[in-house]
Amino acid sequence: MTFRTKLLLISSFTVAGAVALVTGAVSISTRRAFDTIDRERRQALLVQFRDELAARSVEVARRVELAASSPGVQQIVAGAAEYDRAQTEAATADLDFLDVVEPNLTIISSAHWPARFGYQNDWQIAPNDWYTSDVFLARIPTPEGSVMALTAVRPAAGGKALVAGGRRLSPELLKSLGVAPGMRALLWLPPGEVIDAEGSVTDAQKLAPLIQEVRSTNGEATGSVQWTSDRRSSEAFLALPITRAGTLTGVLLAGTSLSTQLGLERSILRTGIVVGASGIVIGVLLGWWTTERITRPVERLAAGARAVAGGDLSARVEVLSRDEIGELAQAFNRMTEQLLEQRERAIQAERVAAWRELARRLAHELKNPLFPLQITIENLQRARESSEFEEVFRESTATLLAELGNLKTIIGRFSDFAKMPAPQFETVDVNEIVRGVMKLNIQVERSKVKPVLDLASGDARIQADPDQLRRALGNLVLNALDAMPDGGTLLIRTGLHDGGVRLEISDSGQGLTEEECQRLFTPYYTTKQHGTGLGLAIVQSVVSDHRGKISVSSAAGRGTTFTIDLPVSQVDSAATAGEPA
Amino acid sequence: MRRTALRSIAAANAVLALAAGLEAARRPRYGGELRVEVRAAITSLDPAVVPEDPAALGAQRQWMPSVFETLVSLDDHGRPQPWLATSWTHDTTRKAWIFQARKNVKLHDGSTWSPPGGAIAVPDDRPIEQILRELAGARSAVVVKAEDGSLLGTGPFRIARWEAGKLAMLAAHDQYWGGRPFLDSIRIQMGRSLTDQASDFQIGKTDAVEIAARDLRAPKQRGTAMASSQPTEMVALTFDGGRVTAPTRQALALSIDRTAIFNVLLQKQGEISGALLPRWLTGYSFLFPAERDLVKAKQLVPAPQALTFGYDRQDAVIRPIAERIAVNASESGITLRPSAGGADVRLVRLPVTASDPWLALQDLTALLKVAPPAPAANSYEAEKALIDSSGVIPLFHLPRGWMLSSKVRNWSRFEEVWLDGGAAQ
Repeated sequence: MTFRTKLLLISSFTVAGAVALVTGAVSISTRRAFDTIDRERRQALLVQFRDELAARSVEVARRVELAASSPGVQQIVAGAAEYDRAQTEAATADLDFLDVVEPNLTIISSAHWPARFGYQNDWQIAPNDWYTSDVFLARIPTPEGSVMALTAVRPAAGGKALVAGGRRLSPELLKSLGVAPGMRALLWLPPGEVIDAEGSVTDAQKLAPLIQEVRSTNGEATGSVQWTSDRRSSEAFLALPITRAGTLTGVLLAGTSLSTQLGLERSILRTGIVVGASGIVIGVLLGWWTTERITRPVERLAAGARAVAGGDLSARVEVLSRDEIGELAQAFNRMTEQLLEQRERAIQAERVAAWRELARRLAHELKNPLFPLQITIENLQRARESSEFEEVFRESTATLLAELGNLKTIIGRFSDFAKMPAPQFETVDVNEIVRGVMKLNIQVERSKVKPVLDLASGDARIQADPDQLRRALGNLVLNALDAMPDGGTLLIRTGLHDGGVRLEISDSGQGLTEEECQRLFTPYYTTKQHGTGLGLAIVQSVVSDHRGKISVSSAAGRGTTFTIDLPVSQVDSAATAGEPA
Repeated sequence: MRRTALRSIAAANAVLALAAGLEAARRPRYGGELRVEVRAAITSLDPAVVPEDPAALGAQRQWMPSVFETLVSLDDHGRPQPWLATSWTHDTTRKAWIFQARKNVKLHDGSTWSPPGGAIAVPDDRPIEQILRELAGARSAVVVKAEDGSLLGTGPFRIARWEAGKLAMLAAHDQYWGGRPFLDSIRIQMGRSLTDQASDFQIGKTDAVEIAARDLRAPKQRGTAMASSQPTEMVALTFDGGRVTAPTRQALALSIDRTAIFNVLLQKQGEISGALLPRWLTGYSFLFPAERDLVKAKQLVPAPQALTFGYDRQDAVIRPIAERIAVNASESGITLRPSAGGADVRLVRLPVTASDPWLALQDLTALLKVAPPAPAANSYEAEKALIDSSGVIPLFHLPRGWMLSSKVRNWSRFEEVWLDGGAAQ
């Protein structure tokens, strides 16, 4: 993932997160505000509900008293009226239910169920309550089923009878409350009937948990009901028990539709999503613009760094701003300038060191033959008068010639290194080269070193100069043999690697130190007593001319391994092949 | 037993005049129009048409003799008496009966009713009592179809205007062989509820209206002129389609507290009965059980049952009885749910249409849609068989009650009624 992408994601997520937080906070605060307001409204509705119920109770008591004292009821008690006369009295008193009963509760006349004359009144109330209770809720049986009513009982005809009357707890009662839009009042009546201003409430069983809570605590309870699968059908309730003699006779419920609240929350959420999406788009655009301004100089710096890494110390980065990025670009430019200067100085120093080393080596190489030459010439001068001059002359000239030959050899090696020819490429089998070199060198050191060949089984042919390759490989073999004066194992392994051929030449000698490994390919550097320090330099030169790579790894006491990677083809490098690196 | 009862009990259509004796002593006057309102809606006065509506059948059977007459009639004791036939005898082969036609009988169009040869032969070898009873029945009335399709009879009144189910205008038949009736005409408005009739009566729109049996006592107390008949209407439960089993029917019959209904709802008018025919007609109705036995009823209904219950909610007599029956039935575990359409159980009023048990049973079988009773030794056996086959549960026999305006006199058959100051009407 690029830096630009990361920046874009971070900026987008930051905007979206901020919007989500704000939206959530607004939603929560809105919900709390709604909850508070709704609870107050429900409380107010319940108070209104109770007041209305109390007012109606007073009215029912008054009407029952009116009926009890009416001449019609007196006639009923006296047996001078028709069996359904209570209907007339109920209509006169505007009561929905009216039973004229004997003291033993046998019905004399019933307004709402005339056919029940002679039966026991069954309003599900204890007989002793008839005299002690004021207005109460009772379930009254009718031909169509039992219904709840506000009821009262009053004596009639001087106590010869009782008049029990009531008014139905109808939706009209709830409708008369005139509740605010979005609210409604409900009345739960045992065993499970629920009515509101419109009539019976369907799915009333969904209120059962709330009713159960009211029943168990005998106090207020709150809860919400989702009537359908749509969340907007949710309704919050505040429930209040109606009790009589410790028995739950009903539950008042004030409900508030949550559709408005949910709608507002949804609107806030929708707005948040829109704002968030817009923020993300804007964030992406701004992020893109910002990251473009930030990453472009960084990319230039990266390109410059890559150029420097590739050896181009002249690479520079354009300074476009005066901020941190600009300072970084300036620092980069200063760094490359300093690197360039340091490299120039290092080259100069290395040249000087090389000349010094060359001079030291030449001096050392040339001083050794010169001393025998001086001794020999002095011996000749001293022997010119002696009788053994001829013999001394012969031996001295032989020595002189031998030392001159050494000088010539030394000079030839330096000359060869200086005049390393351009490789003449042809297809060669690396394995064959290795076998030839091993054959030549193992004949010399047959007794002490054990040669081991681990050659590639496949095609190990590459384009190379066979003479130079043979000479480089020979130098490495000779070095390995020199590293094992007491014998050991010489392992040469060839194999295909990374589209080319890899050669590994390992000895089991004493190994090299890390410093020795670092300076090993420096011309005229040697670890041997009689070396010129040009062998590995020549190897590196050959490998370089073949566009290959050479490396060394060594561990103390476990030998040294030279690894050479050569490409199969030299086509791409033909143009530069004639120019030594 | 039947004859003993017939002798001792007044006949069904003999309506008792309860007006004061002083009024009865007044001399009848001719003229005037009698305005009558009834609940029944008769679609046809043709004796051959048997209405399916019980109330219509009852009304038709009551009025028809005033328009269409039979060869023989039954007196108040149920005995056959000569009417359009003056005498009868069997032929020489004893295979047919010859009825001599009354002379000088005029049809409503003024033409003379004269059977060929002045006699009517009835080829029937059954006992003469059965033949005479059948000839006294409404279905044997003499009806002549005129060229314009109208029906002509020989009765004291002719049909002057007929609007099926709504209005019947009867006019006096001036050439009636028994003498012109007192009334000039009778205007009968049909299909009027008891409430509407009472309202019309209160404002003087009608002279005679029906009242429910339970209200028979109330007008008396107010001094209103009224009349009532012998119990000629049966209140009974019928069952449709055989969906109700016999044990359930029996449990329902046993659960009903007839006494409470009789005392309170019917104000002790009529009689409690478990029989199809009233006591005055047969004398044996007490043999049919009508007592309540709730314990046995509960035993017959081991599990609660729900039945649909049909009755006429507009009928002020039927509705309270039905509601009380529903309350009673619930005690035995039977729930009767009111139903406006088809119902398992129906509470109906069935008319007793004749003063002869066999003729009355004949019409009942038609109303109950069951086969007529097989010839039996006596009508008790026939009645019992009819109850068993139809599953009907008789409950009460109720009298017909009338409220009459002060000018109506001698309220009985139409031809005997006259109006005080009738000429002024």
